[in-house]
Amino acid sequence: MKLSRRRVLQGLGGVMLGLPVLEGLLPRKAQAAEPGELPFAIFLRQADGVAAAQNTSELGSEPERFWPEPLGNLTTTTLAGKSLVELADHRARLLVVRNVNMKDYNYGDGHARGALQCLTARGPAVEGAGGDSEASGESLDHRIGRELNPQKRDSLYLYAGQAGGWLGGPCISHRGSASRRAALHDPWVAYQTMVGGPGGLTPEAREQLLVRQKSLNDLVSGQLKALQSRPELSSTDRQRLDLHLSNVRDLEVALSCRARADEELRLQQQAPGYNSTDGDEVLATVRLHMDIAVLAVACGTTRSVAIQVGNGNDSATRYRDPTTGQLMENFHYISHRRTSHDSSGGVIAGSDVLHSRVDAQFAQTFNYLLDRLAAYALPNGKKLVDQGVSVWFNDLGNGPAHSAHNIPFILAGSCNGYLKQGVAVTVASGSGNPNLNKMLNTIGAAVGLKNAAGGPLDDFGDPSLPKGLLTELLA
Amino acid sequence: MSSALVAASLSFLSACEGQISDAANPRNPGPGGTNNPPPGVEQPARSVRVARLTHAQWVSSVKDLLKLDAAPTALAQTFRADPSQSGFLFDNDARALSVDEALWGAYQRAAADLAGQVATDATKLGKLLPPGSTTDEARAKAFVESFGLRALRRPLTADEVEAYLALYRKGPQAYPTMAAFQGGLRMVLEGFLQSPLFLYRVERSTQAADGKVPLDAFEVASRLSYALWNSMPDDALFAAAREGLLTKREGVAAEARRMMADPRARDVVNAYHQAVFDVPRYASIRPNATRFPNVTAKLSESAAKENTLFVQDVVFGRKGRFADLLTSRDTFVNDELARIYGLTGTFTSAFVPVTLDGAQRRGVLTQVGFLASHATSVDPDPIHRGVFLSEHLLCQKIGAPPANIPALPAPNGRTNREVVSSHTEAPGTVCASCHATLINPLGFPFENFDAVGGYRTTDNGHPVDAASAPGIGGQQVPVKDALDLADALANAQAVHECYARHWVEFLSGRPAAQEDDALVARLGKLSQSGQLPIVDLVVEVVTGVGFVNRHPEELP
Repeated sequence: MKLSRRRVLQGLGGVMLGLPVLEGLLPRKAQAAEPGELPFAIFLRQADGVAAAQNTSELGSEPERFWPEPLGNLTTTTLAGKSLVELADHRARLLVVRNVNMKDYNYGDGHARGALQCLTARGPAVEGAGGDSEASGESLDHRIGRELNPQKRDSLYLYAGQAGGWLGGPCISHRGSASRRAALHDPWVAYQTMVGGPGGLTPEAREQLLVRQKSLNDLVSGQLKALQSRPELSSTDRQRLDLHLSNVRDLEVALSCRARADEELRLQQQAPGYNSTDGDEVLATVRLHMDIAVLAVACGTTRSVAIQVGNGNDSATRYRDPTTGQLMENFHYISHRRTSHDSSGGVIAGSDVLHSRVDAQFAQTFNYLLDRLAAYALPNGKKLVDQGVSVWFNDLGNGPAHSAHNIPFILAGSCNGYLKQGVAVTVASGSGNPNLNKMLNTIGAAVGLKNAAGGPLDDFGDPSLPKGLLTELLA
Repeated sequence: MSSALVAASLSFLSACEGQISDAANPRNPGPGGTNNPPPGVEQPARSVRVARLTHAQWVSSVKDLLKLDAAPTALAQTFRADPSQSGFLFDNDARALSVDEALWGAYQRAAADLAGQVATDATKLGKLLPPGSTTDEARAKAFVESFGLRALRRPLTADEVEAYLALYRKGPQAYPTMAAFQGGLRMVLEGFLQSPLFLYRVERSTQAADGKVPLDAFEVASRLSYALWNSMPDDALFAAAREGLLTKREGVAAEARRMMADPRARDVVNAYHQAVFDVPRYASIRPNATRFPNVTAKLSESAAKENTLFVQDVVFGRKGRFADLLTSRDTFVNDELARIYGLTGTFTSAFVPVTLDGAQRRGVLTQVGFLASHATSVDPDPIHRGVFLSEHLLCQKIGAPPANIPALPAPNGRTNREVVSSHTEAPGTVCASCHATLINPLGFPFENFDAVGGYRTTDNGHPVDAASAPGIGGQQVPVKDALDLADALANAQAVHECYARHWVEFLSGRPAAQEDDALVARLGKLSQSGQLPIVDLVVEVVTGVGFVNRHPEELP
């Protein structure tokens, strides 16, 4: 990718930004079109639903604390009193989408149904497996990377929160059926993966590294190809070797994009909190991941980033109640309104309010991402944030009920004018009818994915679902 | 009940019980049902041919390969975690172990780091250089052959030797500031550490005989070393392979016994039991501070350590059997655990051996770790205690619960058991189909233990009722409490078979398959009858027909 000097100075080199780039290590190879032509998607997944209006057996009638009221043009008035007010400064570029519904596939568990379906729009590989479930298809973030990334590099899949837990921890990104992707957990490792090499290299050292790696890659590629040629290998053996071989490549593209040395140090020093259960540390990790995501899309090393916060039901993270300064019970308990991962624990008084405070912290974190993206001024006068779409979404509609309906999707950025801005809309699909696949089609099409006929992506996910886009979202 | 709920209920009923299997690849995977083994005949099951090293295996292998004083654990911490695979209990399911961009980059960085460490340190390099050669080129060739055998875990072909020598000759260009010999070896080291032939355990044997493909001696050596040590073969194992000793069962058994006596086997045995007893779950122990004011934040850590010490003592200290894990009262405690166990005397933070009260405790299921990790913050959790026993000890899968389960009602003067029973066992409900017959009867015997594992005889002012009749091995077995249940489990062949099945999965790095049934049945019977200490059980698995042979068909 060829970033103009002006763009770098205005964005990457700006004081306000977290990850400026050394001039000596500016991107040099043209791997993408000029800014404004290559939209991207950054996904931020929150678990456990939001504090929307509902009746629960635990607390009775819970008022609306999330969605704008009324829908329509977003103003400070419609956002007032809702978690989304944290995004008020970016309201002109928000697209708040109601009535996105998942299909009630038989995953055997609400969180599995949500987390494994949210970016795949697919049912389970094996029905009723509960916490042992796998999705039956590829996720959108991976599809974007596979088709649109330079050199078909893997899209970035980043994870924040304690490792392990429900659904094994990272669970929203998939290469295909029952083929879950590994997530990058430590921001410093994520950064090194994104830039493709060790930090702090001089241009000369970088050139030497490239020369050495070329010789080593030749050897490794030859060995992998020799292995692949063995007729006795099974298809799954071949798939794994194919994946390995696809990553044995020239590092030059990746090495063309770096952060400044002091920023690399910051990533290295702050990263150790990534495996925490403390909500403050978890969200700080998310912000570091966002810094990397922003640098990656700015440099064009990826067109897709997925950031997952917490395991399948975010059952380990304890967010802080800003009004008391104390850590709450873990988020899954809060969302259940009870001190248990099921319905057996005692009711947590005020847990609906606490849930909304967690929502607000996610909104603040999403706002951080938008601020970062908006700080990049492009040569055409636009901002990086508007070149792509940032998507803060959930995998449940609400807490105790684990609803598959009315899944929150908060979009920001128009993808170069493809998507509406500044409004909250209810998409029409009939109440409860599955339309998540259309939501994902719309995002995929906005980023540039095509269907087999060359038209905008309209057939992602479960082929048994009606095709199409959510046209209400198109500008 | 709506028709939709009725439908869901029926579906739930059918999913309530089943043998543990691999969700993504159910058992009986023979294409078109072909090649299923005859009953009672031990056979190899389908497996992958290229199994990537787990991160733990990479650490151990690199330490042994480079003869490092300390394991390169910090480097492996830069490897992204492997994704979970359909609920497979262990971390070594070869189908889930791939090399994506992130891991490949981390491998490359680690290889460069390690090669630099070794090639620039005369002492470290000296440990790896074979003696006797005169010219640099000859020394390099000798190095490639000797180091290569250990890195690839088999002798190199002539072409492979030449490929690495070609890399060696690029040393001066690649590392112009280093001496040519060291720079060349640095390139060779990087090349071996990045090689897929090092990163994957490759099995190349293809010649079938009697319906199975015998592995060659070096492949057997690799299987043995990664199963029992989680690392590469040592010199003695390579020698056994070279001398043809691993083509005979006695030779394999002799090596297996030698390896089980090595300290490296302890980590492997511990890793197995950590997974089977779900010790990572102990980290979630967080009792309510008001209800349990004397419990500290270190309880989970203490419970995990107790489990490790207990397992090591039973398996290696006492040469014990699986039944001992289920019934032994001899364990290790520190001050906090001693308090919960009601022990008198002076205790400190140091762990010491004790014998627990025989009227209250019997085996791992009556220890704090299991009990407190299967509890809410205030009450014991008979449901999850029962589910754990069913899935981990009986290999009996419990179907996932339906969504939107209503909350447990308030006790209103009732015991915890009464609350759970009334809520989950109402006749004719979807809940009762699993809870009344499968889950609760396995969980209720532990009602004598509160949310931190302390012993109790009353609950909410009422006497505890811990009597039950759980289904074990297809029979309802009346038990009066957890002690009775521990004995019943220790006497049940089905439980021993489940334990053996887990070992087969763990040592093979794949889900159990139908081909394993005969071996599992034989080991279960021997274990149940008291004839098979755990160490011997492991040796039986790795000397079995299924371990030293491949299935004639590949895993799809």
